[in-house]
Amino acid sequence: MGAENKESKGFVKEITSRIGNYNFVFIMLAIFVAYLIFNQGATTWSGVMNILRHSAVVGIMAFGMGMVIISGGIDLSVGSMLALVASFSVVVFNTTNSVILTFLFAIVFGGICGLLNGLMIGLLKMPPFIVTLATMLIFRSIAQYSLRTTGSSIFNMDGTLSSYDGFYGFGNAKILTVPVIGLVLIVVTIIIVFLTTCTKFGKTIYALGSNAKAARLAGVNVNHTSVMVYVITGLLVGLSSFCWCAMNGSVDPATLGKSNEMYAIAAVVIGGISMSGGKGKLLGVLFGAMSYTIIDKIIAAVKVDALINDTIKGSILLVAVIIQIVVPMIRTRAKKAKH
Amino acid sequence: MELLKMKNIVKSFSGVTVLHGVDLEVGQGEVHALLGENGAGKSTLMNVLAGVFPMDSGEIIFDGQPLTDLTVKKSEHAGVAFVHQELNLFNDLKVYENLFLQKEILTKLGTLDKKKMIRETKELMDELGVDISPTAMVSELETGRKQLLEIAKALHTNAKLLILDEPTTALNNAEIEHLFTIVNRLKEKGKSFIFISHKMHEIFTIADRYTVFRNGQFIKTGNIADTTPEEVTLLMVGGSSSASEVYHTRELGDVVLKIENYSGPGFENINLDVRKGEVIGLTGLMGAGASELLQSIFGVNNADTGKVWVEGKELKGGIIHEAMANKIAMIAANRKENSIIPDFTLLDNVSISSHMLSMRKMVIHKKKEIGRYNRMKEMLNIKSAHGYNDLIVSLSGGNQQKVILARWLNTEADILLMDNPTQGIDVGAKAEIYRLIMELANQGKTILVNTLEIPEIQKIADRCIVFYHGHIQKILERQEINEENVMLYATNVKGAE
Repeated sequence: MGAENKESKGFVKEITSRIGNYNFVFIMLAIFVAYLIFNQGATTWSGVMNILRHSAVVGIMAFGMGMVIISGGIDLSVGSMLALVASFSVVVFNTTNSVILTFLFAIVFGGICGLLNGLMIGLLKMPPFIVTLATMLIFRSIAQYSLRTTGSSIFNMDGTLSSYDGFYGFGNAKILTVPVIGLVLIVVTIIIVFLTTCTKFGKTIYALGSNAKAARLAGVNVNHTSVMVYVITGLLVGLSSFCWCAMNGSVDPATLGKSNEMYAIAAVVIGGISMSGGKGKLLGVLFGAMSYTIIDKIIAAVKVDALINDTIKGSILLVAVIIQIVVPMIRTRAKKAKH
Repeated sequence: MELLKMKNIVKSFSGVTVLHGVDLEVGQGEVHALLGENGAGKSTLMNVLAGVFPMDSGEIIFDGQPLTDLTVKKSEHAGVAFVHQELNLFNDLKVYENLFLQKEILTKLGTLDKKKMIRETKELMDELGVDISPTAMVSELETGRKQLLEIAKALHTNAKLLILDEPTTALNNAEIEHLFTIVNRLKEKGKSFIFISHKMHEIFTIADRYTVFRNGQFIKTGNIADTTPEEVTLLMVGGSSSASEVYHTRELGDVVLKIENYSGPGFENINLDVRKGEVIGLTGLMGAGASELLQSIFGVNNADTGKVWVEGKELKGGIIHEAMANKIAMIAANRKENSIIPDFTLLDNVSISSHMLSMRKMVIHKKKEIGRYNRMKEMLNIKSAHGYNDLIVSLSGGNQQKVILARWLNTEADILLMDNPTQGIDVGAKAEIYRLIMELANQGKTILVNTLEIPEIQKIADRCIVFYHGHIQKILERQEINEENVMLYATNVKGAE
């Protein structure tokens, strides 16, 4: 009896500790199962693959948000930055007729926007919440203001350009049934996970968020790291913008990216990254972002009003946080009960 | 008459028995020193008494009444006050607001009766002989005063027994003296104290009786008058020779660190030549300038004037990375605040600084990293529960400090600046660190140790530099280093030449 009891306790402990570390996988799987049920057998392989594709725009920027949050900061400007960079990318494409130049522009322009945030936060030591709140207002406003001169309500990519089909095709193409944009998300995941776990720079992000003072005294160039996380976020938003343009061919600066900063933060939190900084796995962000995409699909499948969307997303976020708080509690209880 | 009797207290955490049936008796109007290395069970027993942890079995009789099913409230109500190592004060509140927190006096209208609270605070402070204004902001008080305010807070709850857990760690000598005067005064009024400290001379100054624990077991209790620091230390460490002499004379090399007319925040006009392999003790009252000097050499602060040369090369100053690149390391004071990266594993904590010196190679070579960690672990005898993936915060203070030492030895620095390196660690770990300092000096490392504990300097230093008000008051050669001499210079009784 005693031995059996011990074994089952060990099992409980094992499970809870695994869930504690990777509960973002379980949350996504639970939502995915719900999707399969609601979809009532209408689920197709390409439908599943589309989850990746539709997670890309928020997912890619959420990786930047994840790093910023681990470093102890926050970036509220990513949604507006997406609108700004994507809007101007359309303009650049229409004038240059070049996919490569558009790509480079989006990345560089995103990086510059991020640098702006980073310099104010990392060098001038201004509070990140305020700085990015301000740039959030500024970025979108610039995008909308520049549209005024065109006489149109959205930025449209010129379909008559010779590169248009190639660009739009890229956003909608598949390699071996996997959408290319989905692959971009996977590649970004791999790069970011590698950057944060296997490089010295990655360690400085965690050190900064865990104890900035000790990090500095240990020789970490904390100014450089805190500027860089915002720059990287900008670069990733640039990539997101490019993906958006390729997928949709048009940008409405009034609505594109609205609330995306919140979805990105939610993806980060569901991914198990602590809002207080210093800990968490970037891999979780991929699952956090996909969880939200699946919720969209469920709502489409059950054909309820899309306005209920945020109620469900908000609730899932609360559940995720509860799990993250309750599971460790159960684990310590189980430990206590053992003795 | 006995005020407190704790009998056969057993307490375990997660199956590990921490207290194996220990006893403790404290008399009325007595200062009782509770002694033992870190992990001996002192803090656990005190937490049991304060109602923080429930005990597994045992008996507590306080003031003639048995205390059962203790909670923090019950314990406080009975008259036990725990003055914690980490100060539990609210910095942004005023002194009287802290004192009356949740015990506010109200007027008939239900608003705060500030006048009455301020008056009562004033009375209490006068009674204690403490010069703290009731309306001062706590954030503006020095650490010593905060400590006294903590004690005042305890007395305000009519405590009969005050637990002082390492109350002097952050105090300078004058403040310690003041604290002891107050303890003695309260003792005469019949208050009892349990005094936890790692500093032997303090225990022998203030305590009447002592109890020694080792590894969660009761070892001995007795009168302080009947014992010696050596005997007590031996009881604490269990016969191992950790208190033995470590110093030995060595051949010193050329001058590797030269400081000339160096002035900066907190120190002025410092001139100093340090030779390769030399161990220098820096001391003085708190804030006398030694710590500030080390920080400026390491580039934490910018100096105002003067020069620092390392191996003949002048430093620009004000850049930590430059100091590190010139093979200088600093083990900062206040480990928790300035050294520990709490979310990092042992491995990451050890590796971070050497990573920063080799940022050009961006990717971490994990195997090499672990190899270096293992060598450090062996050399420094770092003890952890599972291995290099443990979080640093799971370690005892002594082992944490060894990890920080490992971090800097891992950078292959030649000049080690140590700011209060034995703060808050137990006798055994202290002895290990002294031995290590001598061993490193033997290998040709140059070491500057800032400490307020003079016996520590006597153990290891070739020379002792006494600071007073930011300047070097006196450089003592090894044979001149003794407690009396150092104190005379540190307090400006003997002047600078």
